[in-house]
Amino acid sequence: MNKFLLCLTLLAQFMACSSLLAADEPLDHFERSIRPLLARRCWSCHSQQSGKSEGGLLLDDQQAWLAGGDSGPAIVPGNASNSLLLQAVRYSSPDLQMPPSGSLSPDEIAALEQWVTAAAPAPSGRLSGPLSDPADPVAGRSHWAWQTLGSPQPPVVMNTQWPQSPIDRFILAELEARGLQPAPDAEPTTILRRISFQLTGLPPSPEHLQRLQTGTLESALPSIVDELLASRQAAEHWARHWLDLARYADSNGLDENFLFREAWRYRNWVIDAFHQGLPFDQFLLQQLAGDLLPWQTLEQRDQQRIAAGFLSVGPKVLLGVDPERQRMDIADEQLDTVCRVVLGQTLGCARCHDHKFDPFPTADYYAMAGIFTSTQVMQQRYMLGEQRVMERLAGLGADGQTLNDAYEQYWRDRPGLQQRLQRAEASLQLLQAGDSAAISQKLADDADSFTASARDAAIPLPDRVMAQQQHVAELKKSFDNPPAIPPRAMVPVDHDAPVSEHIRLAGRHSDRGAQVPRGFARVLLDADQPPLPADSSGRLQFSQWLTNPQTRAGMLAARVQANRIWHHLLGTGLVASVDNFGRTGELPSHPQLLDYLARRLLDNGWSQRDLIREIVLSRTFRLSCNTADGRLELQDPANRLLGRGRRRRLTAEALRDSVLLAAGQLNLQPMQSTVDYLGDQATAVGSNPIRRKTDYTCRSIYLPVIRNDLPEIFEAFDFANPHLSTGARTGTSVPAQGLFFLNDAMVMDAATATSASLLQQHPSATNQSLVAHAFRRITGAEAAADDVLTMQQFLELTTCEITAAGATDGKAKALGLLCHAIFGSSRFQFLD
Amino acid sequence: MQACHQFRQPTSRRSLLRTSACGFAHVSLAALAAQAAPSDAISSALPHRPGLAKRVIFLFMWGGPSHVDLFDFKPLLQQFDGREVSAEAWKHGSPPGGKILGSPFKFRRCGDSGVEISELFPQLSRHADRMCVIRSMHTDGSAHGEALLNLHTGSSTFLRPSVGAWISYGLGAESANLPGFVTISPPRGHGGVQNYGSAFLPAKHQATAIGAAEIPVAKARISNLGNDRVPRTLQRRQLDLLQSLNHSHLQSTAADPGIEGLISSYELAFRMQTSLPGLLGLEDETPATLAMYGIGDEPTDNFGRQCLLARKLSEQGVRYVQASTDYTWDHHTQNNAGLRRECARVDRPIAALLQDLEQRGLLDETLVIWGSEFGRTPTVENGDGRNHHPAAFSIWMAGGGIRGGLTWGATDDFGFHPVEQPMHMHDLHATILYALGLDHTRLTWRYAGRDFRLTDVHGNPAVDLFRSA
Repeated sequence: MNKFLLCLTLLAQFMACSSLLAADEPLDHFERSIRPLLARRCWSCHSQQSGKSEGGLLLDDQQAWLAGGDSGPAIVPGNASNSLLLQAVRYSSPDLQMPPSGSLSPDEIAALEQWVTAAAPAPSGRLSGPLSDPADPVAGRSHWAWQTLGSPQPPVVMNTQWPQSPIDRFILAELEARGLQPAPDAEPTTILRRISFQLTGLPPSPEHLQRLQTGTLESALPSIVDELLASRQAAEHWARHWLDLARYADSNGLDENFLFREAWRYRNWVIDAFHQGLPFDQFLLQQLAGDLLPWQTLEQRDQQRIAAGFLSVGPKVLLGVDPERQRMDIADEQLDTVCRVVLGQTLGCARCHDHKFDPFPTADYYAMAGIFTSTQVMQQRYMLGEQRVMERLAGLGADGQTLNDAYEQYWRDRPGLQQRLQRAEASLQLLQAGDSAAISQKLADDADSFTASARDAAIPLPDRVMAQQQHVAELKKSFDNPPAIPPRAMVPVDHDAPVSEHIRLAGRHSDRGAQVPRGFARVLLDADQPPLPADSSGRLQFSQWLTNPQTRAGMLAARVQANRIWHHLLGTGLVASVDNFGRTGELPSHPQLLDYLARRLLDNGWSQRDLIREIVLSRTFRLSCNTADGRLELQDPANRLLGRGRRRRLTAEALRDSVLLAAGQLNLQPMQSTVDYLGDQATAVGSNPIRRKTDYTCRSIYLPVIRNDLPEIFEAFDFANPHLSTGARTGTSVPAQGLFFLNDAMVMDAATATSASLLQQHPSATNQSLVAHAFRRITGAEAAADDVLTMQQFLELTTCEITAAGATDGKAKALGLLCHAIFGSSRFQFLD
Repeated sequence: MQACHQFRQPTSRRSLLRTSACGFAHVSLAALAAQAAPSDAISSALPHRPGLAKRVIFLFMWGGPSHVDLFDFKPLLQQFDGREVSAEAWKHGSPPGGKILGSPFKFRRCGDSGVEISELFPQLSRHADRMCVIRSMHTDGSAHGEALLNLHTGSSTFLRPSVGAWISYGLGAESANLPGFVTISPPRGHGGVQNYGSAFLPAKHQATAIGAAEIPVAKARISNLGNDRVPRTLQRRQLDLLQSLNHSHLQSTAADPGIEGLISSYELAFRMQTSLPGLLGLEDETPATLAMYGIGDEPTDNFGRQCLLARKLSEQGVRYVQASTDYTWDHHTQNNAGLRRECARVDRPIAALLQDLEQRGLLDETLVIWGSEFGRTPTVENGDGRNHHPAAFSIWMAGGGIRGGLTWGATDDFGFHPVEQPMHMHDLHATILYALGLDHTRLTWRYAGRDFRLTDVHGNPAVDLFRSA
């Protein structure tokens, strides 16, 4: 609990100077730049850790540097030029030059200057010590994220009328502590639009809008939320968040962009898992070790195997790479992804050296890497004319493996088959020519090229020709008709003989250090590492450890996932660095609330749906983006206190899906593969002309995700790069987005269709009500009177012009242009 | 409106410092093209020191041309044609296996400096005194995909920003109407967009692509740079309506950087629709210029257009322009015929580019680089071809402060390995940044808890290639 108090204190310090510093977080700057600098260059002579305070000065305690040493205060907060520390490091005076071993770099001096100018904020108390060995797993447990989870009680608040859930009390308490009040609630239709998009990625249905208008928000909302959460559309929306993390793609990317023909099964498994409300621990367990779990039915076995495709869908360097390096690279990619996704930890650094900031020594990295190198996701397969190392596939269903083996065998045999066909054709030609000497010679050279009865000189020649023709036809039929691709999926498997890895010195795969037994990260282990089984990789035990609510790992996993859910719903994480809970990550804005949410997730049996429901029904979720008096904006510009709503751009998927929906063109049926027409090379390159299609009418989650060849709208609108696990997409505003909405054919077609549908639905509407209908259809909101007027003027002027130019459907065209403009507007593209 | 803006805080103090320190053009782009991401700032002012070059044009020969036939003259190859290298001739221990393929091409000592260039580049040879040929390049990755990614991003294993994206980030855009990084006819395969992507850098630093390698550049388009359904005047009215809706949205709320960003990005998009097609067209060029580049003639038309376009973009302030050939330099068979064909396509256009830049006084501030993902084996493959050879190959640079007439580094007598001044791909990247006044160890971006750079933990700039600043 002390740590949380500390965090609150720090937060208060941060808030106190936030008006000076805007969004730049001073403690962040201290932790990233100043503390490491002091530790590296100053503390050997000026710290409690080294036991030296030369010149009477300590630089590992705020009070100490304010008091200063023999020459006076070292730091005058806010005044760099009067701070002795700055004078010393600038080497400007011959009498005072620090550090004596050599001056700091200009960057380092600039960082110090910036820090002192910003009032030199630092945590209180002794600063040296804990980070003397940042990779020490046991000492590392003092960091907030690696501590065990409490059961925080909602704090007492002054304004008891406002909160509607425990969540609200955590939020309000922080606001009240600063003399602030939350923004008013948003309009009911705004709240419904927000909920609908955040839960399903689609605008509210007319029916839900109707229910909201006939009832009260309080009475209508809970049942609407339940209906939305149970819908397939919600599963599709939330599955996409997970697929960002799972770096899901339909092709390998990197150097050889081979198609992942079966990856879609994993994608659909994720959607189904959300739809069925699979608890998060089971959800993880199946993805990390589904192939190792017991099963009752083949269907269950196959579903679990498909889930484990999570491990296989990462990008891999396929050609020209040393096999041992490839093995280590693949394990690294998997380990880094799993730890980032589940634990919010950046483990990759520890591949080459002990982590410089977080308690992950290389020994722990290689202990876990051994679990993944004992897992096999690649296999030899015959493809594009040669034997290659490709992602492992396994047959599905009762005879899946038999069919798969036969299929692979056919392709291995196919070059031989082609030769046999060519030889048989040559022999047929000789028979047809009827030159007996040539036939005899061929029989002597290559008897096998003739079918048995074509070989027999006793048979009349025409019959021999016929027999050979039939033989050629059979070979040709076999050659032209490869067996259908059997049902199969990307499935990992344990190696027969699991091995513990050697530490690789400086990460070089060929440079072996000590061997470390397979195991888990010690910072998250309370007891000694239980030995992992000798006959399996240990993936199952690893996954069980990650999802065990009694362990530090399970508690951290709950924190990380609760924070991810919050991030998706509120637009920012309580820990803003959603993928980094380590020492270089952000501190939680509301540590108690985070733990409350994590605890709720665990108490509800890891039900994500329950947690989502609780958050969207909180009052905090309903806050308007606008405040009454501007005080919140002034005192909390970055909105870290969550006292108001956060306006967001719709995602690429939500934009596309709702454009199509408004036009009546969106097909809500689930899809299977959308890449089955592609060749083994997923991008059109060289002799392969086939490129992924994007003109589907299905929801965006089913569109082809070809690495390095994403659909244009994904590329323009900040879709997660599928080479990387992504917890928070970036939000850019670049001209390519404007160009897309101004000129893309899909948008213009949808606008035309929307216009036609509006005119059909409201054949006798006035222009005024027509533009209001258009606005409502597209944005799900009522247009303001001024906007109606502007739109009406546009419609009338444009209709007139187009008609004058000779068109018969001037109004339909003008209304199409109007709809097009509304699609481009912030009213449609942003979520208030 | 103004009243609302008074409340607005800059996204971060550092980004404010940065934008105001970099001059008006930078401010306007930062304001127009993108909202700076919260972490879109670097600790020190950039460039780190005054650069010799202000921009780069990279001419990429996709597939890997043979260095020993073009820029790295090896008389012994012809002597050992069809034979293995003898231990006596090798001098470095046990000789490499495989039969040597001799080079039938004559090399000339060109210009006053005597830089050796193959007869396959007669036009380019005239610029020998402007060129610095580097014969000691080496890289990682014997497959195209791996080597392309190493060339363009410094890493084939991980997703990293491309060289052009780093430079756009390091120097910012010079023009408010144009992106900082443009790639003409980029390859779709072997890493595809990853070779010109921004990875974890902000999206505005990724390249704007014109066409793709397999499309003749005369037919190439920037996607969605206009449509043929809505006339421009009508589109302007449509945009006015759209912006009016945006403004009314903005007025209903406190200052909102998201909506403001949307408003300005539409205006820039609309301006780009006007400014870019003019830039991509060749109408303003004289017949003499077109002829100089070989435009309208075969086989030079396509690469001539690419080179001329590169000059136009560069002249307008695009920091990094790449022009790529199609996948036509991968001569596993018929190496000699293939080289004759491909060199004829690019020789005149490249010579014209150097001359044109020189005439316009731009060569001094434009670093022109010619290169590929790797070289080819001195040994034979398939009777008359050469295989991939990442261990040694040649590139050249000109302009941008380069000491012309210089031959840098050397390979052994057969062209297998560098023996003098080896220059790894990371060194080349460090050198390019150096030319622009950027220190490759200090051009960093914090991602996933640590600082990343183009050269990872490697790279030494070859400062001796440049005139002293």
